[in-house]
Amino acid sequence: MAGYGAARVLHGVTVHLEQGETVVLLGANGNGKSTLINCLMGLVRPSQGTILLEVNGVSQELTGLSTESIVDMGIALVPEGRRLFPNLTVRENLLLGAYRLAARPARAKNLEFCFHAFPALADRQKQLAGSMSGGEQQMVAIARAFMSAPKILVVDEPSVGLSPIMVKQVISKIDELKVAHGLTVLMAEQNFNQAIRIADRGYVMVQGQVAFEGMDAAELRDNDFVRKAYLGV
Amino acid sequence: MFEHQLFLNAVLSGLLLGGFYASVSIGLTISFGQLNIVNIAHPAFVIVGSYAAYTANSGLGLDPIVSGILFMPVFFAGGAVFYRVYHVCFEARGDDPLRGLAFFFGIMFVIEVLLIIAYGVDYRLVEAAYIGETVGYGAITLPLRMVAPFLAALILTFGIQLFLSKTFTGRAIMAVAQDQIAVQLMAINPTYIKQIAFGIAIMTASLAGALLIVIGPVEPSMGRQYIGRVFAIAVLGGMGSIPGTLVAALILGVAESLTATFYGPSWAPAVSFGLLLGALALRPQGLFGR
Repeated sequence: MAGYGAARVLHGVTVHLEQGETVVLLGANGNGKSTLINCLMGLVRPSQGTILLEVNGVSQELTGLSTESIVDMGIALVPEGRRLFPNLTVRENLLLGAYRLAARPARAKNLEFCFHAFPALADRQKQLAGSMSGGEQQMVAIARAFMSAPKILVVDEPSVGLSPIMVKQVISKIDELKVAHGLTVLMAEQNFNQAIRIADRGYVMVQGQVAFEGMDAAELRDNDFVRKAYLGV
Repeated sequence: MFEHQLFLNAVLSGLLLGGFYASVSIGLTISFGQLNIVNIAHPAFVIVGSYAAYTANSGLGLDPIVSGILFMPVFFAGGAVFYRVYHVCFEARGDDPLRGLAFFFGIMFVIEVLLIIAYGVDYRLVEAAYIGETVGYGAITLPLRMVAPFLAALILTFGIQLFLSKTFTGRAIMAVAQDQIAVQLMAINPTYIKQIAFGIAIMTASLAGALLIVIGPVEPSMGRQYIGRVFAIAVLGGMGSIPGTLVAALILGVAESLTATFYGPSWAPAVSFGLLLGALALRPQGLFGR
């Protein structure tokens, strides 16, 4: 359970993520997807409940840790609204992603991979991040999170403010990174059709609760409840 | 012909002066420009640097510039502790820059009074072999007491710039004031980074103070003359830009030197505020503002 001040946003949500999976959190605005992600990242403190990370069979509690220590454990967030450092260059933004000690030795290799995956960024390394278009900024944000060499990549609403063609590209890139580096991905997204393209499983959130859990993309797409309540068809 | 040489001499000594100004301003560029901490007491910390160099010079016969460098770790540690106090008492309790400003204004007077208690109000000076010597070519003569601080200030400026742009900690310092949450998402503890950055800002005051007392005698309240200059340079350079700080400091140095040569030294203080007003009116983001 979690919320902001007196406002309860999440009510008994249970979500789990297996290694190597892409799990999507679906749901319209205001249903608690971002709050759940903020809890995971230590940006919002849940009033009840726990967040557990299991590494090599050893379970570790993330609840109560600072955001920086959670990121340091290999969980990277591409935040909603991108949150780039606008007055720093693309390259500086990316190198900041590699700040955590575990990511530093591989920074040159990862940087090269980023420029390979996002060729548009290679030409714009020296450009200030704040002066780029929304789509390019989203690419920088994803690349920056990737630079921290994460095991788990968490992406919050990557499609916000992007053109449909850009949304498609960005979602595909997330999948590309995941496949190339064996990441585990948790993505919150409103764009149902784009999100389930890359999803192994998904949760549909309605009013701070998990309304439906889909064990695969087809189950999400074909479910009557989802069609009615979420897609409105 | 005479005018021409006078002009050239004034420009050259202005450049030397400006280089020194960069060393005084660079700490403010970090604290004010990059951390949003309005450290109006920075020139007072520079004066502490002067007295530290004076003490080492008069007591141990140490070269003032060398002692300015040797005291850097002490100033770094002092600045880091100082930031902790500021963070706990002001920053962590909400964003009210005005209260922080009042705090630093008070610190400035506390430092002045402590220096007066310890050293008295008289001017103090240091001794070194190069003070009093000149280098020259033809009609150009440059005093070594200006050349040595200029070179030391250049090395300091390039060193800080290299550190900020090439190291992980340096990049974190440049990012920390832009987005606190995004910084945490880079696995960076913002308070820790600000503490290091403020330590570095105060560390530069150690060397700048030593350079100041090489250039001329120092008394406890002398820092006040530099408040206008350092803020003018930090703003004109483009808040937070180290190369901008150097260029702005050189511009101010030359402008002050030309004004002093052709209109009289009493006009020199007006130059910094004139430049500050001009910068705010014409290019508020500064020369190198991003």
